[in-house]
Amino acid sequence: MSNTLTKNEPRELAPRAPRRTVIPRYNVRETADAFTITAHVPGVDKASLETTVHGENLTVSGRRTWSVPEDWTPIHREITSDDYRLVLELDHRVNRDAIRAELSQGVLTLTVPKAEAVKPRKIEIVG
Amino acid sequence: MHIIRYHNTPLYNPAASFTSLRSEMDRLFDAAFPTLSSLQRDGFFGGLTGEFPLDLYQEKDAFVVRAELPGFRKEDLSVEVDDSVLTLTGHRESESKPDSKEKNGTTATQEQRVSRSVSLPDNVNVEKIRAAYENGILTVTLPRSEEAKPKQVAIEVK
Repeated sequence: MSNTLTKNEPRELAPRAPRRTVIPRYNVRETADAFTITAHVPGVDKASLETTVHGENLTVSGRRTWSVPEDWTPIHREITSDDYRLVLELDHRVNRDAIRAELSQGVLTLTVPKAEAVKPRKIEIVG
Repeated sequence: MHIIRYHNTPLYNPAASFTSLRSEMDRLFDAAFPTLSSLQRDGFFGGLTGEFPLDLYQEKDAFVVRAELPGFRKEDLSVEVDDSVLTLTGHRESESKPDSKEKNGTTATQEQRVSRSVSLPDNVNVEKIRAAYENGILTVTLPRSEEAKPKQVAIEVK
């Protein structure tokens, strides 16, 4: 990961004390040649978000990087401090080597292209 | 002795047939009610509705409001103070992409507006309110006005 994004604390996702996770709010859309997954992960920056494909599973983990400064007194809290974790199962219809991820203002967009075999195609009539 | 033998053969796997039955029903349902499923895709159930979570903190010299508003452009967020009420509003219009699998083929523009209001204490210096938007979190810092800060008075001990 780029060092320019690193602030004061080390940002590697290396094992820390296990934290509670929530499933982010997400949507899956299908187009002719890809599936688009959007997940809401507010509070997560690029350096603390990880998307991995392992076997059948597509896993998104995002760690919240902000924590309440010590001299701040909470008056009212609704935002959870849990990290995000979403596991989706991929099947034979997708090309798992060409998955693209983009993060913008707390919204992760994953483009999962369909495998060539399942894309609609026109069969030319020969003879 | 059973009259009809129960075949627990690999040909009949209850779990697998349930999955295929369910996906078949999903497909039938999607085909029968395209508008409902497109609503679902467009965030009627999955998107932000009228409210969004927010936190309120007291700092040494200021109050801080943090709100989760993922996926907005800066210019589509507004922070307003009117008569000691702080209102945070997010607004967006999402157009369904022409290449998306819309069964009815319309490119309807969907408008979404979310808003929350917080009443402020009297001692906020309205002129100096700052707002920042990063990683889908809107942070509003509301400095306390000078006169309301606790005054330090040195009392001489005799």
